[in-house]
Amino acid sequence: MSQVVLEKIVKSYGEVDVVHGIDLTVDSKEFVVLVGPSGCGKSTTLRMIAGLEEISGGKLSIGDRMVNDIAPKDRDVAMVFQNYALYPHLNVSENIAFGLRIRKVDKEEIKRSVSEVAEILGLTNYLDRKPADLSGGQRQRVAMGRAIVRHPQVFLFDEPLSNLDAQLRTQMRAEIKRLHARLGVTSIYVTHDQVEAMTLADRIVVMSAGRIEQIGTPMELFMNPVNRFVAGFIGSPPMNQIKATIVAGVDGPEAKISDSVSIPLSRAEGLASATGQSVIVGIRPEDVLLEAAGGEPSVPLEVNLIEPLGSEALIHASVGGEPFVIKTPTHGDIAHLNDIRQFHVNVDRVKVFDEKSGSALYQADQARG
Amino acid sequence: MKNASRTRWLIQHFKREWQIYLLLAPLVIWFLLFLYKPMYGLQIAFKDFSLFKGVDASPWVGLEHFRSLFDSDMFLRAIKNTFIISFLNLMIGFPMPIILALMFNEIVQGKFRKTVQTIVYLPHFISLVIIAGIVINIFSPSTGVVNLLLMKLGFEPIYFLTQPEWFRPIFIGSGIWQEAGFQSIVYLAAIAGVSPSLYESAVVDGASRWQMMWKITLPCILPTIIIMLIIRIGNLLEVGFELIILLYQPATFQTADVINTFIYRQGLVGNQYDVAAAAGLFNAVVAFVLVMTANSISRRFTRTSLW
Amino acid sequence: MRAMKLPLALAIATTVGLSAPLFAADEDYRIVDKPLTLTIHFHSGDKIVYDSDWPVEKRAAELTGISLDGVASMATQKSADAFNLMIASGDLADIVGGNRLKDGFNQYGQEGAFQPLNELIDEHAPNIKAFFESRPDIKSAISAADGNIYYIPYLPEGDFGRMYFIRQDWLDILELETPKTVDELYKVLTAFRNDDPNGNGKKDEVPFLSRDWEEIVRLVVLWDARTTGSDTFHDYYVKDGKVVHGYTEEEYKTGMMNLAKWYQEGLIDPEFFTRGKRSREVLFGDNLGGMTHDWYPSTTSFNDSLADKVPGFNLKAMPPPASPSGRQLEEHRVIPVKPDGWAISYTNEHPVETIKYFDFWFTDLGRRLSNFGVEGVHYDLVDGKAIFKPEVLNASDPVNAQMWNVGAQIPKGFLQDFEYQAQWTNEMGLESIALYEAGDYLTEQFLGVSMNPDEQNVYDKYQGNLLTYMLEMQQIWILGTEDVEAGWDKYQEQLDKLGYNKIIDAMQSAYDRQYGS
Repeated sequence: MSQVVLEKIVKSYGEVDVVHGIDLTVDSKEFVVLVGPSGCGKSTTLRMIAGLEEISGGKLSIGDRMVNDIAPKDRDVAMVFQNYALYPHLNVSENIAFGLRIRKVDKEEIKRSVSEVAEILGLTNYLDRKPADLSGGQRQRVAMGRAIVRHPQVFLFDEPLSNLDAQLRTQMRAEIKRLHARLGVTSIYVTHDQVEAMTLADRIVVMSAGRIEQIGTPMELFMNPVNRFVAGFIGSPPMNQIKATIVAGVDGPEAKISDSVSIPLSRAEGLASATGQSVIVGIRPEDVLLEAAGGEPSVPLEVNLIEPLGSEALIHASVGGEPFVIKTPTHGDIAHLNDIRQFHVNVDRVKVFDEKSGSALYQADQARG
Repeated sequence: MKNASRTRWLIQHFKREWQIYLLLAPLVIWFLLFLYKPMYGLQIAFKDFSLFKGVDASPWVGLEHFRSLFDSDMFLRAIKNTFIISFLNLMIGFPMPIILALMFNEIVQGKFRKTVQTIVYLPHFISLVIIAGIVINIFSPSTGVVNLLLMKLGFEPIYFLTQPEWFRPIFIGSGIWQEAGFQSIVYLAAIAGVSPSLYESAVVDGASRWQMMWKITLPCILPTIIIMLIIRIGNLLEVGFELIILLYQPATFQTADVINTFIYRQGLVGNQYDVAAAAGLFNAVVAFVLVMTANSISRRFTRTSLW
Repeated sequence: MRAMKLPLALAIATTVGLSAPLFAADEDYRIVDKPLTLTIHFHSGDKIVYDSDWPVEKRAAELTGISLDGVASMATQKSADAFNLMIASGDLADIVGGNRLKDGFNQYGQEGAFQPLNELIDEHAPNIKAFFESRPDIKSAISAADGNIYYIPYLPEGDFGRMYFIRQDWLDILELETPKTVDELYKVLTAFRNDDPNGNGKKDEVPFLSRDWEEIVRLVVLWDARTTGSDTFHDYYVKDGKVVHGYTEEEYKTGMMNLAKWYQEGLIDPEFFTRGKRSREVLFGDNLGGMTHDWYPSTTSFNDSLADKVPGFNLKAMPPPASPSGRQLEEHRVIPVKPDGWAISYTNEHPVETIKYFDFWFTDLGRRLSNFGVEGVHYDLVDGKAIFKPEVLNASDPVNAQMWNVGAQIPKGFLQDFEYQAQWTNEMGLESIALYEAGDYLTEQFLGVSMNPDEQNVYDKYQGNLLTYMLEMQQIWILGTEDVEAGWDKYQEQLDKLGYNKIIDAMQSAYDRQYGS
């Protein structure tokens, strides 16, 4: 069992709480990503799990053991750091072996483990090099090798890819995923990059201001964000959020954006009672149809700027005076996009959030992902 | 014309970059004036120098001064003492600031650490004459702390400063007492430059504080240590002779007299500037060879070097 | 010679003017009709530079018409540095003066930096000439190896300097007589050590002490040895016309053995090497010290200054204890000629006027001026004798310090008058002098030799290391680190190796040339 359980975990520096009682269970062999903007407490949480920060309150268990007061080395975790934390004076093989040496593991055993790990990570040819002579990706791999070689119960990753360029990052992401599939070790991974979170995670934990906003699989979070924060954080470009008022329409409640524009919320029975309430309507840039497939309500818009991305393009527009982004396939041509005057809403995908609390009122499309 | 174009280029270059050369000028002038110009006077080591005749008019005597220096047992003894004291200083005095810095680094509590550091830095700012006075007092046979302690423990008091075998320990010890704290600042700065994540990583890996000191802190500040070591080796023969002059007695000459005190007695007390210059030149040549050797050894084995 | 260029008439006129009657009128001292200003580099004792505002200088300028403009500055603290810097620069003032410059004057004089004075003195300085005729030994002593005189020296008067002083009050307490021989002295010092004369119940007495460790070494004189021949420590001396160094003689060995024994037995300040210059103040002030060998004026003053602090304190001069051979010697005395004074540099365009100016200070008026200050201000002439005014004698500053402040008693070339010192010496001091005068304990002094460049080279080459070795062994023996008897032969061998005999040969040939054997 290498489950990690956080119960009401609190971290405070003096009077200031930076983590406000987190509950989280990471199952054995699961890959969980903590994501959130900087300062949200995700790294602090990870460091508490590692034992680098004292836990101010709550209970932390790894396996079946409560480890609040157990020294980092006895928690049986391994951590990969953002700047790799490689020892500049040791070569790759010595860096990888460092943890084992400290534990006075038999020399032959160390040699065997190091070469095994080096093989897994493709570092066999670099074992004699010093970190200064390695590329960023290679350093990253050595850092992971150092974690792997100890066969810990839990891997902890602290933004391990943020020092790499975009291309390497994509490559390393895949490698980490492959590694996890191969080793099957419980992993907790901290990042501020939602793409990394989406691609790597079994489950994502979205954090903000020291609290958990939502826990779920990548698709759950994408499809059903529980509040405006998660909606805005997951997905790229982020979900368009437009102020509206619920009004009673012909076929049921509608979200009125302006005097002339309303979006029908036809299937939302629960919203009937909310008539007159101020809400935020959330529409993902991908969930917009430029040509009606049949019966979708249309909304007029004004195109400000076209950003071609190749196979797709981003249309920066305004709807009822508010900015609105649309992502659409180009099929090799963007000239016509300037002429668009209206769009159609896939009513099934529209989200409605309470303006005041920001939490979701209406999930148009329940748990399809 | 190639020359003409080069001249034009130079003029252009100076017109454009004159500010930079202006900034460089004070240092270059300082070097020329205070380090290179005096080298001209070194020739008095090979002359029968008279202050009044001046450097140029004094007659050449070849290696006469060197011959008489190396004929003299006193000078040979001074060389021997210089090497012994320097070597002991290096062996004992050099690691002390490093050890101190490592110890400071282990003190977590801010106020205590600051207090300790201040106490250790303080002697650096005290004049040598006062340092010597303190040393003489501490080791006084009748009123010195050390001897009072010895007497309490039932030993006979020792007149330390007249015992040749005690001179070196006292000299090296007081040198360490005075300078180790201040010198540790360099190493503290180097330690502060070690990335904290190296320690965190080691903590997670299960390293103890002792292991972190040996396996992380020390190796990480090794380049600094080596640079300091090379510099130190360059100054190896520059034994702090002011303190020796203040502390030594004819009775301790046999262990205390170094090249510089020998030069001092010859040059300033005996007015033999030419002989003193010869001894000084010898000292400088040995120091130069030492620093070149140390540097090339270091460059070969640790990839760290002064140049 | 530059002097030759001067108009003969002027030279004759001034020579006539200088053969003046005893009470010459002021104008008889006039050297030049038109006031003449000469520059002077005078930096002395690390504390005095020539000041043109000194009343003594102003009075001299009035009388002679020559005024001196001091160019040395206290910006350079060390007098020796100031002199060396000036020599090295080649830019010499008209007159150069100060203390400890004999070697410099003679060496650089022979190299051309200073003008030889012999002819100038013969022709233009009757008073200086008369002095040298009366003291040919001094004339020899200051002459350079080439036979020339390059400077006019400071000539102190008054023979007595250091004397043996013992605590009469301690002798009284222990009911002891003043020791007359070295054996008696040993017994007295042992009693001081063991019988608690200060009555505090502790065995903390320091029977013999000195502020100069060399004075402890000088105790070997009590066993017929010699430590120096002059007022400089560790100097050579002349024994039956031969230059020798006391530290090579058998008597010195005996002295060292006894001194080591005394040190071992605690009769000598155990910390004498490191005690420092205030050991008298400390050890007498704490009622711990019993005896010393030091200058009489300052030592006798402790009786007054410690009267309140140590009741009954009575430090009294005693004759030198007799050695085993019966010799009673006070080795120290004030030297009749100091290596101080002034010289005329090669740049001086008025050597005749300058030597006349130097000579002025050897006239009676000039001598009074340089000894007592300005007549009517600092002293009055009573029956032809200069007597300090009461306000000078009773001022809080010592008289010598007052004199320095007005430009008198500075170590330029002048003849000191012991009267100056006698007038402000306390009764104890005068008694001490009388005691030593009556006993006739002083001996002839070695005034040094002027070596030619070859001899000087030998001396310079060996002297430093030789003396270092002598002092080293001296301390080692006294401290008991090594045995004197066992090490003596090796010591002699080493002295020879370090060039002792070569130095002696060089000095002896210089001595023979200079003083005539």
